[in-house]
Amino acid sequence: MAGSTTSYYFVIIGTKDNPLYEAEFGTFKQGGDGVPKFREEQRHMNQFIAHSSLDCIEDLQWASKEMYLKTVDKFNNTWVSCFLTGGNIKFLLLHDARSDEPIRQFFTDVYDLYCKTLMNPFYEVNMAIRSQTFDQKIKAAAKKYL
Amino acid sequence: MNRDTSPFRPASTGASPTPKHASLTASTNLRYSLTRKSIYDRHLNRTKTSELSKSAFAFLFGEMVQHAQKKVYGVQDLEKKLNQHGYAVGQRFLELLLWREGRTAKRETRILGILQFISHSLYRAIFQKPADTLEKVRENEDEYMISDNDPLVNSYISVPKEMSQLNCAAFIAGIIEAVLDGHCFPAKVTAHTAPSDMWPGRTVFLIKFEPEVLEREGLRHGST
Amino acid sequence: MSSTSRARLGEEVWKTRTDKINAELVTLTYGSVVAQLCKDLDGDYAEVNKQLDKMGYNIGLRLIEDFLAKSNMQQKCANFRDTADVISKVGFKMFLNITPTIANWSSDSKQFSLMFDENPLADFVELPDDGKAQAELWYSNMLCGVIRGALEMVQMQVDAHFVNDVLRGHDTTEMRISLVRYIDDEMPADDE
Repeated sequence: MAGSTTSYYFVIIGTKDNPLYEAEFGTFKQGGDGVPKFREEQRHMNQFIAHSSLDCIEDLQWASKEMYLKTVDKFNNTWVSCFLTGGNIKFLLLHDARSDEPIRQFFTDVYDLYCKTLMNPFYEVNMAIRSQTFDQKIKAAAKKYL
Repeated sequence: MNRDTSPFRPASTGASPTPKHASLTASTNLRYSLTRKSIYDRHLNRTKTSELSKSAFAFLFGEMVQHAQKKVYGVQDLEKKLNQHGYAVGQRFLELLLWREGRTAKRETRILGILQFISHSLYRAIFQKPADTLEKVRENEDEYMISDNDPLVNSYISVPKEMSQLNCAAFIAGIIEAVLDGHCFPAKVTAHTAPSDMWPGRTVFLIKFEPEVLEREGLRHGST
Repeated sequence: MSSTSRARLGEEVWKTRTDKINAELVTLTYGSVVAQLCKDLDGDYAEVNKQLDKMGYNIGLRLIEDFLAKSNMQQKCANFRDTADVISKVGFKMFLNITPTIANWSSDSKQFSLMFDENPLADFVELPDDGKAQAELWYSNMLCGVIRGALEMVQMQVDAHFVNDVLRGHDTTEMRISLVRYIDDEMPADDE
């Protein structure tokens, strides 16, 4: 039997609902090979699911002071988890099973990488993040925790 | 991914001289030094306790003011420029401080909470002391004041004579504004000289919130 | 004064006679200045370098007084090697808490390099990935101006510029400083 088909879609969203970075990962857990297994129509849906969860987040962000809001929305079999930074940048992860703690750890690493990006004077809030090192580190974090 | 049908707005490419890519693909053009760790490989706490001399900052800040002064029309315009520099600094300190709080980090969801964060945690982290007072303006329900008896940027910097109206603490006002904005408490923050007998350089930061902030506060928490 | 006692003097001034401040505030403020210049000048990095140098020069003219007062240095430097020593061990130590290494003296002792193992101004920085900045921008160029301005106030005309920078992908950060001439007291500084 083939390894796990669990796949993740991750997107960082700026303060104007603009995507700053996106990536897909497969899992390395349960014999997975780390390659995302989204079918074409699902890939397209992912963006819409992420986008439509923004309304839920806007409500939740005033009800909780946590940065990690855990799962904020669900669409069919897809869960949306969210981490909200102090500067109102959203990290969204779409996944097909609940696992709050590993996702928290993943988001914590992402926040570290985001802060490092922001500390660079040539980066401005809401700019797309195109650093290859950033991309590699995000994928390494996904491999480690997801 | 098909960007044309994406529900998202496009990412800002900023006004900086970076090329305007059409997609979010990673770039590969930078050269990296073999002897210097990339910014992503350096720990964010490496500089947490680092110090430099106050006069180094004073010289830099003074020259920043001088330089900004060349291309402005009057004091207000100059204060706006200083505010913008402060804003860029404030945006970064905001995330850095929350990152440093780790798992216990909290976003502030109330006006009073965010103002206390600014006058205590933020102020202490940047200036090694809390702000001196935090008050509500009695007459106006959308206004608050944070005061600093001796703002760093005023105690070391001599303002050119023709700019006697200038309060360099507009820079700090920009820091405050960035933190409020970041937390979705949009406000206009201005610095005003308010000397007292003991503190000739005393400055009051007047914070005027946008109507939406008060509406939300009334709506979510049942008070007006 | 020997090189070791200079180092001790630098330490002492830093520890006991220097008001200190959060380094990140300085680093981020400098970053904002450079980024704003790059924007204002629309990516004309040669001009950005020039402006940074000029700002540094203005700082240097005023900074020397603070330097002399705090370091309490009475006598003039005996020679240019002496000057190099003071810049590194007392000057940089006093303001930026670093001691760049002196290297690559020319045979006539009129040129040397400052090697920066650390550079607090450039913490967190990655140059823009525009195919240009890494070839044209000297991010810390203000430091060159500071040295030029400060030395001019003590009768030395020098040329100072970066020749390597780790931000550009080089293995070192190196500033080259050359003595042009000692300025005669009788002559105004701008009279060439």
